Amino acid sequence: MNRLTMVFFVSAALVLAALCTAGTSRAQSTTLSEEHISKIRQNCVTAQTTLSQLHASDGVLRVNLGPMYENMSTKLMAPLNSRIALNRYQGLKLAATTLEYDRHFGVFRSSYIQYEKSMSNTLNINCAENPVAFYESVQATKEKRLKLHEDTKTLVTLLAAYKTEFEDFSRRFEEGTL
Amino acid sequence: MTEDYLHEEGQALGRWQEHKFMVLIGLTITVSMLLVSLSLWLYNNSGAAQLDLSRPGYQEVRDQAKKTTDFSTFSSSGPIDAESLKEFRKMYDEQYGRITSTQNFGGDVMNDSSLGIDSPPVAH
Repeated sequence: MNRLTMVFFVSAALVLAALCTAGTSRAQSTTLSEEHISKIRQNCVTAQTTLSQLHASDGVLRVNLGPMYENMSTKLMAPLNSRIALNRYQGLKLAATTLEYDRHFGVFRSSYIQYEKSMSNTLNINCAENPVAFYESVQATKEKRLKLHEDTKTLVTLLAAYKTEFEDFSRRFEEGTL
Repeated sequence: MTEDYLHEEGQALGRWQEHKFMVLIGLTITVSMLLVSLSLWLYNNSGAAQLDLSRPGYQEVRDQAKKTTDFSTFSSSGPIDAESLKEFRKMYDEQYGRITSTQNFGGDVMNDSSLGIDSPPVAH
């Protein structure tokens, strides 16, 4: 029993030490001037209010955009691919683009989860007490939002590619060269 | 069955049997706490929490969430002809237009200067 207790305390001490080291190294990763820190401390409450509003509006945007993206695949692209296959036409390009689109939709979902968690962390930081941590958290969240923006652009690009392939299919169908 | 017999039998009971009701309550509480922790973990990590607009902070924007029932489905059965291709094109263009006209997490809203946390100019 004593040995078990000792093992437990040693493990807990190791975990704590690792966490403290990680925290220290992260805190030291950004060097800000005293003026900058002072400005962050002065404006951070307003910044957090702005971020809070952005957090809420992004939540709604995600709720509205997600089904739109998903429906494009499940209600339009996949049914057309099935119909083409059932009629024994060649629609491999369309099917491949749909697969790629579905894969990127998964990436988009995952990116949003990461972004939302990061934003929630930023909003929970006491910025008056920890201005540097707040600033770093804002930078991390900003990167995640940028990634999310890129993901949505990729999805739109894939939708445009699907449309181009569809028009190509349509043209060849009319010409009778399928 | 005498009183002495009952007394002896009571003493013979193990610790487990003696406190079995308390152990049962303790186990029930432990299991329920584990299940609640598991469900909260799943809620947070499955993406459900991020889409949950009933959370605090979303009250004002909750009404802006759109219902997606107006998204019509293209039939997966039937012939491929000029008519069906035309129908698909119309449906696709309509939804594609809706997507491209929606904002997509862009803009400079998170700029340091927009948030007022940018580096102050260096005084010369």
